[in-house]
Amino acid sequence: MSGHKIIVIDDENIVGKMIKATFEKDGYHVETFLSAAPALDRLKEESFDVIITDLKMKGIDGMEVLRIVKKESPATKVIMITAFASMDSAIEAVRGKVDDFFPKPFKIKDLKACIERLLSQ
Amino acid sequence: MKIVHKIILANTFNILLIALTGFFAYENLNLLLTKLRYVEIADDLNASFLEMRLSEKNYFLYRDASALNDIQNKLNQSKEAMVSAKDNIVRAIGARNYQQLESSTHAYLQVISSADSKAPASDELQSHIREAGQKLREFSDHITKLERTNVNRIIAESRTGLFTSLFLILFSALGVSQLISGRILASLKEIEKVAHAISEGDFNKMNTRVHAKEPGLLMKTLSGMKWFSFFHSNPSDELGSVMKAINSMSEDLKKHEELIIQSKKLASIGILTAGVAHELGNPLNNISMMAQAYSELYDDLSREDRLDYMNKVDEETDRIKDIVKNLLDFSKPKKPNRNEAHINEVVKKSLKLVQNMISISNIEINIYLEDGLPVVFIDINQIQEVLINLITNAIQAATSGDELSIATRLGADADHVEIEVKDTGKGIPPEFLPHVFDPFFTTKEASGTGLGLFVSYGIIQNHQGNIRVHSELGMGTCFTIELPAYKKKETRG
Repeated sequence: MSGHKIIVIDDENIVGKMIKATFEKDGYHVETFLSAAPALDRLKEESFDVIITDLKMKGIDGMEVLRIVKKESPATKVIMITAFASMDSAIEAVRGKVDDFFPKPFKIKDLKACIERLLSQ
Repeated sequence: MKIVHKIILANTFNILLIALTGFFAYENLNLLLTKLRYVEIADDLNASFLEMRLSEKNYFLYRDASALNDIQNKLNQSKEAMVSAKDNIVRAIGARNYQQLESSTHAYLQVISSADSKAPASDELQSHIREAGQKLREFSDHITKLERTNVNRIIAESRTGLFTSLFLILFSALGVSQLISGRILASLKEIEKVAHAISEGDFNKMNTRVHAKEPGLLMKTLSGMKWFSFFHSNPSDELGSVMKAINSMSEDLKKHEELIIQSKKLASIGILTAGVAHELGNPLNNISMMAQAYSELYDDLSREDRLDYMNKVDEETDRIKDIVKNLLDFSKPKKPNRNEAHINEVVKKSLKLVQNMISISNIEINIYLEDGLPVVFIDINQIQEVLINLITNAIQAATSGDELSIATRLGADADHVEIEVKDTGKGIPPEFLPHVFDPFFTTKEASGTGLGLFVSYGIIQNHQGNIRVHSELGMGTCFTIELPAYKKKETRG
């Protein structure tokens, strides 16, 4: 299980920090970003297994991240997290072929289970 | 009385006046013609009478028998002329004078007939003849003179009468045109003013009694006369009805505006709910994640880490508390506690409160406060909140070296004051500009709630004011607040 690489993009820095703290304990390599642009730059340098991205962000938003990642590196799993918890955005995210969707607040153990499931496919 | 009735009445009066003048002028001309005809006849008669007196003299001096016949013939001719022109003469000088003229002629004829053409006339007869002839001629002369005087009098009277009528007609016609131009134009102006006010969103009722702002000279003169209240406006006339219609329309608009505001409020509650969900979702998620991580990592965390986690939880709770507070401010707008205030003082007080923020931001601040501004009727705390909000926004948008200027001035119509908060910061992108007053709209990443300008907007609206924004990308942003100048109740009229 160890060695899998995850990128977290969220303008709320606590989100990245907590995911990093709890996932690195399980042997994941986690890099956190407060906006999408530097994260996408990082993706060009190295491939990552999972991208966890916030949906609503200034600049490049989560949907745009999903589109670029799926185009550049189709094997990379994309998980969307958002505080914008309406059904509309959930449907829109699914329609965009997102691998999974978590409305905030979510359980870290559910996120972990989801990533484990996605990576074992 | 309706204006159309007033105009009809005034026109009827004018037409009657013209008809009356025409009638009198016609009558006077007829009378004049009769008198002139009489004077013509009288002139002929007088000439005959003069010839008769000459023949009389011939008879007395030369005993010319044919002279008596001449007189008799002439008298008969005169009598005939008088009888044939009797109607005219009676009309001109009256039946009594005619009879007297006739009887004088008759008397003269009798005396002449009694004289014998063959025998010389006695002294007594001579004096009788002379007396009767003189009497006839004098009377005829007298009547003729009298009638000439009458003709002159009638002409003079006609002239005065015509002049007076002309003046009355002109006066009345001017009155009508003043009524039309003054009253109707004034009303149209008033309607225009009200329509403009309505288009600006002021649905106050207008006065149904319209007064011309600048009454014409005639109206000014007439306004002093009580009986001329005819020309004054009346709430029951057409314009009064138009005013009433506009008033009822304005009331309807007001009702509809309230409905629109209500539905807008409902719509903004929808936006608000979605916004609240998002805004609360983030700090809630942060707390939740920290709590989960705290439990999961408890054994690995140092004492400092644990304290740091708890402090962050506390911070996130504060974030929620701020959102809720702002929400309460919005959902339950406090009734403004309004007092008379000088806007410059309010600006100065607000600046004091943000002094600290200004000094650390390293931006230049310029203040231009116009003297002698009218007093405003405001909730000082609420307006201060708006100003602090705008100043804080400007400082946050600015970078070191930018300028912030705050200015107060009298509005264009002198019925409101303006407060301008202008920065030379980065400006707002044009696509965001229409949304700056929307709830939960923010350009400040995670640091803004997106409620500041929304709440400010509500406060200024509650003060019957106006807030607008102008921004150019890279040049800066300018917010302008308009607050109505306070008019004391006594002077409101």
